[in-house]
Amino acid sequence: MITIEQRAEFRKHFRNNISSRQAMDKIVKGIVFGCVALAIIPLGSILLEVVRQGAPALSTDFLTQEPGAIGSDQPGGIGPAIQGTLMLIGMSSLVGVPVGVLGGIFLSEYGNNRYGNTIRFFNDVLAEFPTIVIGLFAFIAIVLTFGSFSIIAGTFALSIIMLPIITRTTEESLKLVPVTYREAGYALGIKRWTVITRILLTSAKSGLVTGIMLSVARIAGETAPLIFTILGSDNFFMAFDQPMDALPLRIWRLSLLPYDSATMQGWGAALVLILIVLTLNIGVRYLFLRKRGGGRFRITAGG
Amino acid sequence: MARKIILGIALTLILMMPTTTMFAHAETSPTPPPDGSNFNIVGAGSSFVFPLMSKWRVEYHAFYPGVTLNYASVGSGAGINQFTKKTVDFGATDAPLFPSDMKAAPGALTFPESIGAITVAYNLYGVKTGLKLTGPAIANIFEGKIIYWDDLAITGNNPGVSLPHARITVVHRSDGSGTTFAFTQYLSAVSAQWKHDIGFGKTVPWRAGIGAPNNAGVAHYVQLTPYSIGYVELAYAMQNKMTYAAVQNADGNNFVLPTIDSTLAAANQASNLPTANGDWHNVSIVNEPGANSYPLASFTYIVTYSDLSKLKSMTPAKAGVLVHLIWWMIHDGQQYSNALWYVPLPSNVVQNDMNGLAMFTFKGQHLFNYTAGT
Repeated sequence: MITIEQRAEFRKHFRNNISSRQAMDKIVKGIVFGCVALAIIPLGSILLEVVRQGAPALSTDFLTQEPGAIGSDQPGGIGPAIQGTLMLIGMSSLVGVPVGVLGGIFLSEYGNNRYGNTIRFFNDVLAEFPTIVIGLFAFIAIVLTFGSFSIIAGTFALSIIMLPIITRTTEESLKLVPVTYREAGYALGIKRWTVITRILLTSAKSGLVTGIMLSVARIAGETAPLIFTILGSDNFFMAFDQPMDALPLRIWRLSLLPYDSATMQGWGAALVLILIVLTLNIGVRYLFLRKRGGGRFRITAGG
Repeated sequence: MARKIILGIALTLILMMPTTTMFAHAETSPTPPPDGSNFNIVGAGSSFVFPLMSKWRVEYHAFYPGVTLNYASVGSGAGINQFTKKTVDFGATDAPLFPSDMKAAPGALTFPESIGAITVAYNLYGVKTGLKLTGPAIANIFEGKIIYWDDLAITGNNPGVSLPHARITVVHRSDGSGTTFAFTQYLSAVSAQWKHDIGFGKTVPWRAGIGAPNNAGVAHYVQLTPYSIGYVELAYAMQNKMTYAAVQNADGNNFVLPTIDSTLAAANQASNLPTANGDWHNVSIVNEPGANSYPLASFTYIVTYSDLSKLKSMTPAKAGVLVHLIWWMIHDGQQYSNALWYVPLPSNVVQNDMNGLAMFTFKGQHLFNYTAGT
């Protein structure tokens, strides 16, 4: 039998015990929140600074006009750069997304052998490759072969950069779909490719979209490979075998110029680039994941 | 019957006459670009001429809306490189092609398209434009031998200017540059020590200072760094309201500020220019004699292939546009020079360029029938 005194004793012990634990809990919580704040401060300050410096540059002319003569009182706009970035994202996605997703399906569903491991290894190596080297490769393979800097060469380089990211995230998110779903599909007599397209891909949709958007954000901000491939241009799109402008390239070039108007335009272009990436990201997520819920599975991977 | 034949021949001759006389007469200007067609001429290179080239892009497009000029200011070294790799329609450089470049690009034509001055720009609070610098002093500053602004080699020529006891930060080019070429050529001419230690070229083994890409980059760095000194093309210095030095002339009797007049005075000393397809690597207008000749002047060149069919992206029509564009630059385009602090080409240089334009061919067909003058 436990007496009342004993019970009071235990309670005291328990309280002593738990108060130190609660204190520890509070400290650790504080550290974690502190770290989160530390991680968010740079992001917030970058965003704030870009908006603060870039917003005054924004105007209809700035977004739609071709650049004027440098150092003149008519600085013009960054229309060609916006057009170029959108085209590059679109064209690179046309090449990179299908190949990347198919590659990811292969690695996840058929890649459990030496062949698959080799591909996985080289895919990871490719993902770690300095993008400037990929730009050089595109320069040699496309620019020198066809004799002109072109948007095609830029697309070539950027799709190579996209490819391993999409392949890897596709594979990872497909692997997160429980094996039992596949088995359930087979048990119902569904063909393998139907299982992959109808069950696996729809279940892993969220992860897939995240991977694709990650790679789009990555290539949207790439400068190095573009120097060697699209060269930059002050004109709107003319032909696929002609040089083209892009926002990161324009920002870089503007940042080198000593003129005040160029500095302001550079900030403006940075803001536009961030807005494009954000809009794409949110827009695509909304369009693709709107019908989620109900019987669908929420699986997130790769970010 | 015979009469009919004679009549026919006579008629044919009469009909042919205007056309033959037209062909016999030399054209004075190339055919302008046709309306309603789109051409994109791509050039890359010199940042020295970029402000002027940028103006030309806008103006030429206003006159001929079907043609767009796309010029990348990547530096003369990169410009020559892309030219020899045949990835651009023309290269632009302030350093002439060297025999090694000519070997890599046989059949190259060189067209001086403008003349500019290189300023020795500095960022010294309270010191206005016109600090007097001798050639050897500049050489010693850029070699890192003169370390402080109040060095006797500087103060000696500048009585009344209060120079701080502050370390000099030298800003030079980090990329292959025609501006560097002309600048170091000048320093080699005025300082045996510089010639021995460093020499001249589009890139040189710098012993002091920090590197920045392009004329624009150097201008930017100098503006941002107190007590710094760098060398930039006059247009960049003027557009950005930088302060720059008066440099001692070759005769040693005057300190000359870079202006259009003093640069022209130097350029007028240039004679006996090679033909467009000749060897230009000895052409230089630095350190020219004359009391008012600014010693840091430089031609800036457009380089192209005489046989334009060598370029994969070239068509006969586009080649015609390129010839017209260069013709326009050395004639109508020169009117924009003064406002941007470049020197309009003297008539003998324009003539030299015209003779060069007559050398353009596409698969053996001449693109501009101009009877070479002298």
